Amino acid sequence: MTSIAKKRTRIRRLSLLAALVAVVTLTAAGCGTSGTDAASSGTITLSFLSYNYGTADLGGQGTQQLIDEFEAANPAIKIEPQGVAVADVLTKLRSSALGGNGFDVAQVGWSKMAVAYQSLPITPVQKIAPAQDWQDTAAGFNQAVLKATQHDGMTVAMPYTMSIPTLFYNANLFRAAGLDPADPPATMDQVRADALAIVQHGAQGVYFDVANASKSDFLTQSLVDSNGGSVVDADGKVTLDQPPAVQALQTMADLTRSAAQPGVKEADALAAFKAGKLGMLVTSTAVLTGLDSAAAGKFPVLATGFPSFGDKAPRPTYSGAGLVVLSKDTAKQQAAWKFIQFLTSAQAFTTITTKIGYLPLRPSVVTDPRYLKTYFDSDKRLLPALHQLDTLTPYTFFSGPKADQAVQALQDQAVAPIALQGADAQQTLHAVAGTIRGLLGQ
Amino acid sequence: MTNRFARRRSGALGYLTPLLVVLAVWVYGPLVFTVVLSVLDWDGSGTPTFAGMDNFAELFARPEFPAALLHTVVLVACVLPFATVVPMSLAIMLWKQPGRASSVYRALLFLPVVLAPVATALAWQFVLNPLGGVLDETLGLLGLGPVDWLGDPATALPTIAVITAEKVIGLNVLLYGAALDGIDRQSLAAASLDGATEWQTTRHVVVPQLWPITGLLVGLCVVLAGQWAFTNVAVLTQGAPNGTTDNVYYRLYTYGFTFFDNGLASAAAVVLIVLLGLPLAIRALLRRRAGTVVS
Repeated sequence: MTSIAKKRTRIRRLSLLAALVAVVTLTAAGCGTSGTDAASSGTITLSFLSYNYGTADLGGQGTQQLIDEFEAANPAIKIEPQGVAVADVLTKLRSSALGGNGFDVAQVGWSKMAVAYQSLPITPVQKIAPAQDWQDTAAGFNQAVLKATQHDGMTVAMPYTMSIPTLFYNANLFRAAGLDPADPPATMDQVRADALAIVQHGAQGVYFDVANASKSDFLTQSLVDSNGGSVVDADGKVTLDQPPAVQALQTMADLTRSAAQPGVKEADALAAFKAGKLGMLVTSTAVLTGLDSAAAGKFPVLATGFPSFGDKAPRPTYSGAGLVVLSKDTAKQQAAWKFIQFLTSAQAFTTITTKIGYLPLRPSVVTDPRYLKTYFDSDKRLLPALHQLDTLTPYTFFSGPKADQAVQALQDQAVAPIALQGADAQQTLHAVAGTIRGLLGQ
Repeated sequence: MTNRFARRRSGALGYLTPLLVVLAVWVYGPLVFTVVLSVLDWDGSGTPTFAGMDNFAELFARPEFPAALLHTVVLVACVLPFATVVPMSLAIMLWKQPGRASSVYRALLFLPVVLAPVATALAWQFVLNPLGGVLDETLGLLGLGPVDWLGDPATALPTIAVITAEKVIGLNVLLYGAALDGIDRQSLAAASLDGATEWQTTRHVVVPQLWPITGLLVGLCVVLAGQWAFTNVAVLTQGAPNGTTDNVYYRLYTYGFTFFDNGLASAAAVVLIVLLGLPLAIRALLRRRAGTVVS
């Protein structure tokens, strides 16, 4: 081989080696972690996953305002927020944790919390907070909410954006149907009668958002609990095929069969209410700001408490989310606690209620002129829900690693067919209860 | 001579190495990993445990996976005409009338392909809303409906198929257009000299020359229709009503990324690979046998 040929061979081998190194390096870089630094020049950066952040509505603006206010008051802590669809919170948290770039703080919906407790590296908020700090923070909080949301005897996720189901109604459609908007229905029978009266005047009657797109069973539980039943009992046994649960959901089927309720998807019903074509909407208080902005100048949106089954007291449970700390870094945990303290302060709940639409969890802010007194003096629509918050029924979880599959089976295979297509509640719940018992190993 | 051959061979291997590494990391590695995961019980955290064939047994014991397989077949059957007959007819019509109008129509048909899938799905949500959506309001003027297109188990899957087809038609018109441009002009002239009518020329000369591209598009539709429908299912129905719009890809995603039941999701993926690979393997075997007989 000549020296020129040898040189060419060497150059070719070097080129190949360089290409190989480039491929391996790029691959390794792709597999690497990109987590946030704990501290950089004295500033702690917290990654924050929130399903309210980044949305085009008022909820997105309110969340941005909270972050801005916190950063202004705490220059040493920087928040790196990221938005996510509400149904994808767990997917995002689990995949990012597996990828080695997990979030430090996250807003997790209550219906997903049981799985979050089992599958995410959560450090209880109450354990992170200094003892005195915790006492001071908890003292002004709604005690019924704090108690209802405890896990293993302590606050693991801090109650943040909470709501309970309430009945919104279109005052114009009430008047058109000969009903008095000042006397809204209080029982299920009255809801049905009023809905049929509205239907007779050409609009849709009532829509219970029980088969919602986020697959949360908070409204299912609110209905079943209010009729004296439960989805699971205190021992975690599935009880959703017992008579009170069956009767509660049969009420939904009867509404649909009688045409008092349109058997449509949540998004379609919301659009219909916003367009002034649906008389009553039973859903989370969180949608109020969105309903108001759509109805402005067209019709008044009024609200009343969750309806009861006869003379049984209504027992709605809650939806919304708690804040969890996922970082294992001590400095970040303390920064996270400061952030959570701020997000659940009187100042923050003023923004949360007026901008995002959730209920204030510090009772004093409702009557405090510095916070929400003016708001509630001029707008009393959330007051019935606020009063029901004091007698809140805890949200109950299915147990075991397949708890989320059980919730989805309940919502998809039982609640949706019953509420939207008028399927027989007894038969459907019996079959689905069997499926869920199989999933939970009961 | 042998040394030169060996050197050329090692050189070729060197050039191929980057591609082989990429394939190993991103295609064959995950494929092997999927097969391994299918026999494990693992939620992505903690220690995986060996599950044997339990995941496969659970997959077929639960009603939703076999149902999703069936719905995928129905979906493919619904989309197939929109992937072949409809775009072929449109492409031939446009090909026969070349000019500015043809280009405009082609661009309009292609437009849905480049629109964001989620935005398109949301637009359909407003159109199909049974309580005042554009479609039902229009049908109402004719005294028809209203129909809950996505909420009625009888209409939901065909509706998802039609929405999905909107994108498929535009792309396939383009592909048929490219195939038509390559048609042998002499055969058309010969047909004309023989006195063939326009319909006869189309039926007996043009269409037969489009069979190869049609075969390719049928194959792509069979393999990809479920994936094409994924965004529409995720945004519009989440598998509802009663699981009628659930398909095998959406189910796989649900097992894997909603429930993090990785063993079950991987078992579903393995079943899917086998079901899709089987016809291809049989076809390859038949072709090899045919080749052997001819030789």
